Amino acid sequence: MGRAEYKVPGGKLLAAETEIEDGVLVKVKVTGDFFMHPETAIEDLEAVLTGIMVDDLEAEVIRFFEGREVTLYGSSPEDF
Amino acid sequence: MTEIWRLIDMRIENAPTQMAIDESIAYARTRGETPNTIRLYGWNPSAVSIGYFQSLEKEVNLEECERQGVDVIRRITGGGAVFHDYNGEITYSIATPEDDPKMPRDILASYELICGAIVDGLGTLGVDCEFKPVNDIIAGGRKISGNSQTRRHGVMLQHGTVLVDSDLRKMFQVLRVSDAKISDKMIEAVEDRVTNIRRYLEREVSFDEVRAALITGFEETFDVTLEPGELTSYEEDLVKSYRERYRSREWVHKR
Repeated sequence: MGRAEYKVPGGKLLAAETEIEDGVLVKVKVTGDFFMHPETAIEDLEAVLTGIMVDDLEAEVIRFFEGREVTLYGSSPEDF
Repeated sequence: MTEIWRLIDMRIENAPTQMAIDESIAYARTRGETPNTIRLYGWNPSAVSIGYFQSLEKEVNLEECERQGVDVIRRITGGGAVFHDYNGEITYSIATPEDDPKMPRDILASYELICGAIVDGLGTLGVDCEFKPVNDIIAGGRKISGNSQTRRHGVMLQHGTVLVDSDLRKMFQVLRVSDAKISDKMIEAVEDRVTNIRRYLEREVSFDEVRAALITGFEETFDVTLEPGELTSYEEDLVKSYRERYRSREWVHKR
């Protein structure tokens, strides 16, 4: 299980716990004191990211935020 | 004639009940079952609330909470961990439709307006403070209030803590600020970042003074009259059902 933390300028914490097998993201959990509306979108994001190739992570995250009505407050899709 | 909003004033409950009440009001507001509402409340027993997305174990010293009889709850709102000290803190909540003429659609603007009501209220007590984005109110450079907002089903719900006389030492025993053992030196550093009304004013401050100040702040900011009321039976029924979810290990340990 890997864990990475990132502090958004302004102070919000974004942390990701991941488990990677053969370049595939088999488990991902995003935590922190950020704001996302609706909150349950985080579970959707985690579901979308589970099973993808690690190399595709950035593109998938961007696609996720482009593809639905998710509002971030205090952080941006790029931070993710 | 001034618009009337409901005030639910200083109902003291445990953590699952308080969170269930806020959610119940928001849901009832969605259904048109209840008026715009502001609540002021206290937590008994004292509790730590964490943001929806936070890692329970990274943010909370669970052993210390257990030892000190401090309850732990996960909110439906994002943001950070808060220590709700029964003897030293007032929590408020406000629920209105997202498209209420008195409530900005824009998230930042709505934080600014609601936090502005707190700032004005505390100002009447002599606390010179200001809203600091993303979601804090600071006095003399130190945090005195933390706030968090959600929007769901067309309703805006914001709740926040106002530190009256919170035990700052205890606060940083139950919250994990860092993995390092809390030393006196670290407490000093922490006390540089957080304050409370009593410490700021350097005098005893009663809950009653603070609640009256907050009511004034909300009434003036939103140009409304707050009329004391109770939850409807519809809301009380929702509270009973939501409370079980908030109590569940599955919810609290979700992340």
